[in-house]
Amino acid sequence: MRGIGWAVGSILALAGAAAWAPCPAIAQDNSAAHQNLDRSLDKLSKNGLFRVRIGSTVDPIPLNEIHSWSLNLSDASGQPVSGAVIQFDGGMPEHGHGLPTAPRVEPGTAPGEYVIRGVKFSMTGWWELRLAISANGQTDNATFNLVL
Amino acid sequence: MVKPITRPSTWSSRGPLLAIAVAAVALGGTAGPAVDGWSPEEIKTLRSLWIGSLGPLPHDPTNRVADDPTAASLGSLLFNDTGFSANGRVSCASCHQPQNGFTDHRPIGKGIGVGKRRTMPIPAAIYSPWQFWDGRADSLWAQATGPTENPVEHGSTRTEIARRMQTRYADWYRRVFGPFPAVLSQPYPERASPVGNAAERAAWASMPAAQQDAVNEVFANFGKAVAAFERTLRLPKTRFDNYVAALVSGASTQALMNPDERAGLRLFIGKGQCTRCHNGPLLTNNHFANTGVPPRPGLADDVGRSDGITLALANAFNCRGRFNDKPGQGCDELDFAILKGPELQRAFKVPSLRGVADRAPYMHQGQFGSLERVVQHYSTAPAAISGKSEIHPLNLSREEQRQLVAFLRTLSAPPAKASR
Repeated sequence: MRGIGWAVGSILALAGAAAWAPCPAIAQDNSAAHQNLDRSLDKLSKNGLFRVRIGSTVDPIPLNEIHSWSLNLSDASGQPVSGAVIQFDGGMPEHGHGLPTAPRVEPGTAPGEYVIRGVKFSMTGWWELRLAISANGQTDNATFNLVL
Repeated sequence: MVKPITRPSTWSSRGPLLAIAVAAVALGGTAGPAVDGWSPEEIKTLRSLWIGSLGPLPHDPTNRVADDPTAASLGSLLFNDTGFSANGRVSCASCHQPQNGFTDHRPIGKGIGVGKRRTMPIPAAIYSPWQFWDGRADSLWAQATGPTENPVEHGSTRTEIARRMQTRYADWYRRVFGPFPAVLSQPYPERASPVGNAAERAAWASMPAAQQDAVNEVFANFGKAVAAFERTLRLPKTRFDNYVAALVSGASTQALMNPDERAGLRLFIGKGQCTRCHNGPLLTNNHFANTGVPPRPGLADDVGRSDGITLALANAFNCRGRFNDKPGQGCDELDFAILKGPELQRAFKVPSLRGVADRAPYMHQGQFGSLERVVQHYSTAPAAISGKSEIHPLNLSREEQRQLVAFLRTLSAPPAKASR
């Protein structure tokens, strides 16, 4: 199931590349302040209720272009969690601003799969991506670090 | 991901070629030797800023004539026609002067009257999803309609625009857009607009809905033809581009940028943090930022993006309006836009830095007269008068400020003699 999800992601990525050839490659920010950040995009939520895996459907992550991310949600025992209500938010802690767009999380095609639509990064540097998850009567959140 | 073409000095920035040709030079990875003092990672950054990394213009599904050469020819005529103004003396080109990088060297634009912000250059803006300093238009064609009805720019009304299209450009109109709306063969008011003064709004209200709709359609098509022309504008290759082209092709870079300019470039991508916002081959993220630039005294308060997004949503010519040629498409930016929040307060468009040395004064109200003053601002980063400035003091030395300015001057085309 998950394999299909990632395959769909790859197709989206190819489509994105065809429509959006100009995307500038992002030069990675290697400033010392970001060296110790946990950059994992696959982790347990804060209270351990969910396992959350996110990833851009476009590789490399484009700068200044709206694109989608995939999100896979499972419970602590590894079972996919569908029907969750997920809020996606984020920003740049060092610049005191949020995301440049207001993305929305929508159900994907496979169990436990979601699509985060409307994602855009307008600056290089450290971005925090925050997810608030409500499912099966439980809520938890997860924060990811991304350094572009 | 299409790799940018690597080509020496004589290429044009015509996009589609880039998508076809993949002439990758194996630079920009993490391994490999330093070239000209730049690490492989830095070269990757320099490449990302190079005009060779600029792909084709984004497709605009909302404008069916966006890439139609006949529409572009018509648009060129409209762009230069002073007959679309109330006093017969103002055209788009009056402020967007082709010989001056499509701007006018004034702190504040001047049409029929004096505006409230600086005239923006066009060639880099054709890649932007948002237009105007506050992003109140979500397409190039929606933008092009705006100034015609602004009392201090063209001072005209949409019925006057429609009538001139009908009387002076009938043949062009038919060739580009098809038959002129038949309902406009019936009389309609001379000056009428839903956004005009009281008399103009009353005249508009007196028109049958079918005529209003037809005028709006012709008005939108005016914008679409102008946008088609603007989309043919090309950014000149700069001294910086020549330097990067030489760097990635292994040619000599010796004569292309002097030590001060190179030091300034190092600051630009490093300590100066300029590429946080001025990134990509256009040297802009096309977004909005509050950088604490003090307002120009004597002007009405201007809060930038927080008003701009409200206006964009209310604009009848936005992507959700009935003049989008592919309803449901081309609306991602508006659909996912941030509608309110403290970071919109006094946030203004991050401009492209291409050709920046050629178009003083600077900032959204021409507050700063020189690049030296601009760099000084970023070095000291004063607080914003409201909202929150995103920038922090860089504390650049005088020497560093001078070097940064020297680099900014390489973002212009080389003198004509040198390019031959």
